[in-house]
Amino acid sequence: MSTQTVVGSRPTVAPALSAPAAFRAAVAAEWTKLVSVRSTWWTMLAGLLVMAASAGQLAIYAANANTNDDPADNPGIVAVGSVLIDAVELTQYAVLALGLLAITTEFTSGTIRTTLQCTPARGRVLLAKAVVAGAVTFVLGLLLGGVGALVARPVLGEWGSAPTAGTIGDIVAVATYLALVSVLALGLGAALRSAVLTIVVLFATLMIVPLSLQEPDIAVLNRIADAFPGVAGGHFMAGDTDPYPGAVGLLVLVGWAGAALLLGRAALRRRDA
Amino acid sequence: MITLRGLTKRFGATVAVDALTVDIAPGRVTGFLGPNGAGKSTTMRMILGLDRPTSGTALVDGRSYRELRRPLHEVGALLDARAVHPARSGRAHLLAMARSNGISARRVDEVLDTVGLDGSAAAKPGRTLSLGMGQRLGIAGALLGDPPVLMFDEPVNGLDPDGVRWVRHLLRSLAGQGRTVFVSSHLMSEMQLTADQLVVIGRGRLLADAPVGDVIAGSGQAVRVRSPHPEGLATLAARLGAHGAIVEPAGPDELTVTGTTVDRIGDLAYELGVRLHELSPHGASLEQAFMELTADSVEYAGGPTGGDAR
Repeated sequence: MSTQTVVGSRPTVAPALSAPAAFRAAVAAEWTKLVSVRSTWWTMLAGLLVMAASAGQLAIYAANANTNDDPADNPGIVAVGSVLIDAVELTQYAVLALGLLAITTEFTSGTIRTTLQCTPARGRVLLAKAVVAGAVTFVLGLLLGGVGALVARPVLGEWGSAPTAGTIGDIVAVATYLALVSVLALGLGAALRSAVLTIVVLFATLMIVPLSLQEPDIAVLNRIADAFPGVAGGHFMAGDTDPYPGAVGLLVLVGWAGAALLLGRAALRRRDA
Repeated sequence: MITLRGLTKRFGATVAVDALTVDIAPGRVTGFLGPNGAGKSTTMRMILGLDRPTSGTALVDGRSYRELRRPLHEVGALLDARAVHPARSGRAHLLAMARSNGISARRVDEVLDTVGLDGSAAAKPGRTLSLGMGQRLGIAGALLGDPPVLMFDEPVNGLDPDGVRWVRHLLRSLAGQGRTVFVSSHLMSEMQLTADQLVVIGRGRLLADAPVGDVIAGSGQAVRVRSPHPEGLATLAARLGAHGAIVEPAGPDELTVTGTTVDRIGDLAYELGVRLHELSPHGASLEQAFMELTADSVEYAGGPTGGDAR
C-alpha cells in the first residue's frame, strides 16, 4: 500500500485521444463490461433454448398440418428459413436483453456515473454500447439461426426444404433483425432507465399494438401496423414485396433503432445521472 | 485547479447549491464540509458533468468536464463506493474504466496493489464487496489515470482505523506532489488532521473558504482550567473577565473559559501565582467551529421545507 511507487511523483500530461480513438476506447470498455457479467451468457443460453424449442414446435405444427385430416391448412413444403423467422417472434424477447441490460443495469447499480465519468460524451457512450450490443447480438443471431435450422430440418422431414443459399440468407436476415431490435432496446432503455418499463414498451411496440391494429383487418390500420418495427422486420425477413419491398422493411427497422438511440442520447444529455 | 463560478443547482423548489464561487487550488488538501443535504455531493457531481448546473459554471483546469476526451487523466473521482455492478468483479470494473481511457491493464494491477486489494479480493463480484473494499476500489479508480485533480466523496466511510490513516497519508502525499485534492467528509477530527484548506457550505451556500487554522481560530475555543485553590481560581476568573474573556464555573475547582487563548490564561495564572492542575483546550475545535458556522443551515434543513439535496 505504498503510494509513492505507483502514483507518479508528479502528475503527467497524457496525450490526447483523437475522436476515433476515443470511440474505439469506449467500445473496448463496453465489450469488457458485457463479457464480465454472467447475465450475458445466461441471456445467450436462454436465447438458444427458446430458439430450439420454438423452431422445433413450429416445425412439428407444419408437419402435422400437412398430415392431418384437414386439407385446408396444408402449408405444403416449408422452407426451414421461414420456420426460423416465425421462431424469432418469441426468441427476440430473450435476445433483446443484451441491449436492454447493457444500459438498465448501469442505472440500477449506479455505474452509469462511472461510465459517464470515463466517457463524458453521451453520444459516444451510447453508440459504443450500440456497436457492442448490436455486433454481439448479430453473431448470436447467426448461431441461433444455425441451431434453429438444425432442429427444424429433421422435424420437418419430407415437408421441409433447406436450400443452402436461401437458408443462409434467412439466417443472416434473422441475425440482422435481432441485432437491430437489441439496439432498439438499448436506446429505449437509455431513455426510460427501467428494465421493466422498457420491456413493457418493447412488448407493446413489437407485438401488442401492431397485432391489435391488424386484428380488424382494415386497410388503413394495416398500413399503420406496417410502420411498426416488428412488422417491418417481419416483412424484411420474409423478403416480402407487399406492402413494400423487404429492403424498405429493413430501413424502417433501422429508422426505429436510430430514433431510439437519438432519444436515449437526448435523455442522457439532459437528465442528471 | 477546480473553478466554481456562481454554481447553482435547483431541484424544483429546493436550492441544492446556491451561487457557489470557489477556487480549489493545487498542492493542498481542500476539505469540503457541510451538514447532510448541504449540496456537497451535488457540487461534486456538477464538477464531473453528471448533474447539469441550473446556472453558473464548474471548470477543471479551465475546461468543462463534458469536453474532456480522456477525463481519467485529468480528474480522478470517487463518488459512490457502492456503484459497482453486482455481478462484475472489481478488477473487471477497473479494467473497463481503464480501457475507456486507453490505460493499460498493467496499470489496473498497479492501482489495485496501491489500495491494498489483492487478487482474490479484486476477483470478487461487486455485490460481495464490503463498504471498505468498495472505498478502496473507488480510490483505485480515481488513481487510474494518474490525474492532477482528485475528488473524493466521503472516502473514509467504512474504513478501519488503519484504512483511515492510510487514506490520510495518501491524500497528503497526493497534495504534496502538487495535485489538487478535494475531499468531502463529515468527520471533523479527520478533516482537521488531513486538510489544509476548508470549504464549508450550508444549504448550498458558501459559509467559509479559509485555511483550517483560520476556521478553528474563528470559533470561540473553550479552555478548561482546574486548580486546587478555589480563591486563586476566583481571582483568575475575575481577571479573565476583566480582559473580556467569558468565564463559566464548571465545578468547585474548575472553569470553562472562552474568548481567549491557552497562552493568555497561563500567563495570567503565573502573574497571579495561582497553582493550576489543568489548562487544556476543550473539545474538538473544528467540530465546534463547524457547528457554529452551520448552525443556521442545520436549523433550516431540519424544518419541514428542507429536504435531502437529492
